[in-house]
Amino acid sequence: MSDYKKTIGIEVHVELKTKEKLFSPSSNLYGNLANTNCNIIDLGYPGVLPVLNHEAVSLAIRAASVLNCKIRTKMHFDRKNYFYPDNPKNFQITEERTPIGYDGYVEIDDDGVKKKIEILEMHIEEDTCKSIHSKERTLLDFNRAGVPLVEIVTKPCIHTSKEATLYLEKLRELLLYAEVSDCKIEEGSMRCDANVSISKTEELGTKVEVKNIGSITNVGLAIEYEGKRQEELLEASEKLREETRRYDAKLNKTILMRVKETGNDYRYFPEPDIPYVILSQEEIEKVQSEIPVLADVRREKYLKSGISLLNANKLIANKDLSDYLEEFKDINLKTASNLLLGDISAYLNKKELSIFESKLDKNKFSDLVKKLDDGVISNKNFKDIIVDVMEREIDLDSLLKEKGIENVVDNNLVLEIINKVINENEKVVGDYLGGNERSLKFLMGQVMKESKGSVNPKIANDLLIKTLDERK
Amino acid sequence: MSNYLDLSINEIHELLVKGKIKPIDLVNESFNKIDNNKLNAFITLDLEGARKRAMELGEMEVPQDNLLFGLPIAIKDNIMVDGLRCTCASHILENFISIYDASVVELIKNAGMIIIGKTNMDEFAMGSTSETSYFKAPINPWNKDKVPGGSSGGSAVSVAAGYVPFALGSDTGGSIRQPSSFNGIVGMKPTYGRVSRFGLVAFASSLDQIGPMTRTVYENAILLNAISKKDPKDMTSFETDEDFTRLIGKDIKDMKIAIPNYFVSNVVEKSVLEVFNKIVNLLKSKGCKIDYVDVNHIDKAVTLYQIIAMGEASSNLARFDGIRYGLSEKENTLEDLYKKTRSKGFGREVKRRIMVGSYILSGENAKIYYNKALEIRDDLKKSFEKLYKEYDLIIGPTSSRVAYDTGLNDDDPLRSFMDDILVMHANMGGFPCMSVPMGFIDNLPIGLQIMGKTFDEAKIYQLGSFIEKELNLDLKVGANHE
Repeated sequence: MSDYKKTIGIEVHVELKTKEKLFSPSSNLYGNLANTNCNIIDLGYPGVLPVLNHEAVSLAIRAASVLNCKIRTKMHFDRKNYFYPDNPKNFQITEERTPIGYDGYVEIDDDGVKKKIEILEMHIEEDTCKSIHSKERTLLDFNRAGVPLVEIVTKPCIHTSKEATLYLEKLRELLLYAEVSDCKIEEGSMRCDANVSISKTEELGTKVEVKNIGSITNVGLAIEYEGKRQEELLEASEKLREETRRYDAKLNKTILMRVKETGNDYRYFPEPDIPYVILSQEEIEKVQSEIPVLADVRREKYLKSGISLLNANKLIANKDLSDYLEEFKDINLKTASNLLLGDISAYLNKKELSIFESKLDKNKFSDLVKKLDDGVISNKNFKDIIVDVMEREIDLDSLLKEKGIENVVDNNLVLEIINKVINENEKVVGDYLGGNERSLKFLMGQVMKESKGSVNPKIANDLLIKTLDERK
Repeated sequence: MSNYLDLSINEIHELLVKGKIKPIDLVNESFNKIDNNKLNAFITLDLEGARKRAMELGEMEVPQDNLLFGLPIAIKDNIMVDGLRCTCASHILENFISIYDASVVELIKNAGMIIIGKTNMDEFAMGSTSETSYFKAPINPWNKDKVPGGSSGGSAVSVAAGYVPFALGSDTGGSIRQPSSFNGIVGMKPTYGRVSRFGLVAFASSLDQIGPMTRTVYENAILLNAISKKDPKDMTSFETDEDFTRLIGKDIKDMKIAIPNYFVSNVVEKSVLEVFNKIVNLLKSKGCKIDYVDVNHIDKAVTLYQIIAMGEASSNLARFDGIRYGLSEKENTLEDLYKKTRSKGFGREVKRRIMVGSYILSGENAKIYYNKALEIRDDLKKSFEKLYKEYDLIIGPTSSRVAYDTGLNDDDPLRSFMDDILVMHANMGGFPCMSVPMGFIDNLPIGLQIMGKTFDEAKIYQLGSFIEKELNLDLKVGANHE
């Protein structure tokens, strides 16, 4: 094992899901036609002024709260000056000196060992516009310019790639459930940078920044790669440079972007166009009282209803499904969760749809769960009709009728099949009666085969045992 | 040629109400009087737009209570007027056409005023002679060899020459008051936040303020009534709803006035002090209580200004990069595009200030200079606020000398700042401050500045109007004051 200890600090940018941008009334929407959600303020026209969007401040208070941060009650914004085409004013408005949140933590559970990942600070800032590079030219999409962000910076207190990924998963979950952000890494509403250094001593090694890593899993991979790369260099007695790298997922490698120059000078100074923001305790408490139920509360509910930890976590990670489930009061959560995480998820993923975009309305779903529980339909039946269920506005009863699916619920009919199977398999029956439990499975299989899957397996199973026991 | 524009606005208004004249008559008279080749007061004139607007207004009934209806106004060329060029007197914006109205321009238009054109100025308002303009510099109508002051030189000239009764200027470190002093007109820098800055091209955001430039104190107050309003687009603007003329004509007996010793020290030319002292004697004789006072840090205003204004300017002017609008020099690399565009686009004074400002904000310098300057600025403001507990107003000469020869500042960039040593305190503290003509030296006008406490423009107008009435100076260009 390596003698080197990794030290990792993580910076995450999260887009706040406000209606409008941080300093202008343009819509904050993702995926619209380029340069349709921008105005003279976003474009940095001469003479324009920023007006702070208080919804963004409220969402930042939420974020700071769920990250257990202290919240600053008097803050100002600062200008970070640098020239780049994606930075329309050639300065970015941020909170350099008075971040809204500080001294927080996120608790992770590393195989039963709880650890607090310390948050150094969390500040509000505006996003840049999006550069689209092609061979000859660069195009700029100002829809993203001025979108509100919070940047969350941990202390260098993370030491393994697993801790890093657990932190990011937990962070994402907290912000998602506080409804601060969509946290969609693939759409750029959550962006992760990792600062990685290694050292044999207590003194920290040379820091390398890996920027804009495309997924939480890749953060872990990038850290592992970077640790190895640095170790190899040090072992070869080479000196590390402070540099910025990016992670190439295809190659599973980090690639040099630029060597950090000393004295990168952003010429920060307080933004004169925005007066001090003063937050009252009442205001902070009001915002905090409006924070939606967090994931941990839901998770506990799931576990209590008999859902496995694995499935509970899967539901939490897919907030749409979890939100969907929240809409039902009297439902068998276990059956419902199996249904959602199984065939329904597979269908939705394939179609790239949200459950809320499908035709699976509340009535249909609760009916479905009930009919499965009662054995009126089988899982196989559901597989046969899932496309119709998801895509058509039709109630379940009509659909089942149309498809000719009506399970044999008449016990006499089921019994008839069972007797037939028993008669045809005298030897196996004998084995069962002699104590071979596995024979039951075979017989049950035959019953299902004989009925072409149209009997309720639970009812059939019970009846089969009862009939066999009568022969004892 | 008609001479309606020489009348007071009350007289013009009465003629309009009675239907004896129409707004178009005023517009035509204004354009007839403007001989732009002579004084270079305007960078852009909008004859067509002004005439069209005048015809529209002519169809409407003249509102009895709106003295500004149908009157022509000139706008400094760093304030956005939709559809008109906004150059800031710079090559970099030489062909930039505004696509929106500044909030103050919306108010002007809603009041039924007619925009005649955009006035000449120092490039990006950086200068105090208007000679840093990329265009041909404006000329002082009192003496063609003298500078008109700056940076709102074109606005001051257009009012002094009688082209328009009203103009808007902007004042970051005296840019309304100093040219008003040099041209014999009335110029007010209102309390910071009184007038929205949305649509004013920023020079130094924490100091910039738009204000009215007029022939008389009363007309100045009327225009300020129209343009002051809290603006949801400017977070530094404040709720404002008052009549600034309300104290005009009220007795000034027992008014307490402070004169900082610095304002009458050897930084001011003797001839100016002589004129000023006459005013002091006049006020004393009318029952004002006048004291000479020392103000902590008062001599540091120029230094503070150089640090704060240039620091902010270096950031505010960063957006002119050749990428989205304005001059753009196509080059192969991004860095070359930036360099070439900005090298060609900005004039010497602007480049000098951007460089000094960038240096001041760099690394450790930010702490040594900029943050320190903010601290001292705060102390300076407090010193004045302490004075205002005892005194109603503070007075002094607006400028240390009268308008001087053109070209004088060319070789000495610091010299132009020295013009402004008396006017920058108002910007540092955000206080309202007005220049009103107080006399003549060698046939050139010189102004008195009256500074009030925050929000107290009305009292400034009260004293200013009193002095104006007592002196009854002939301020028509051409009048002889040898």
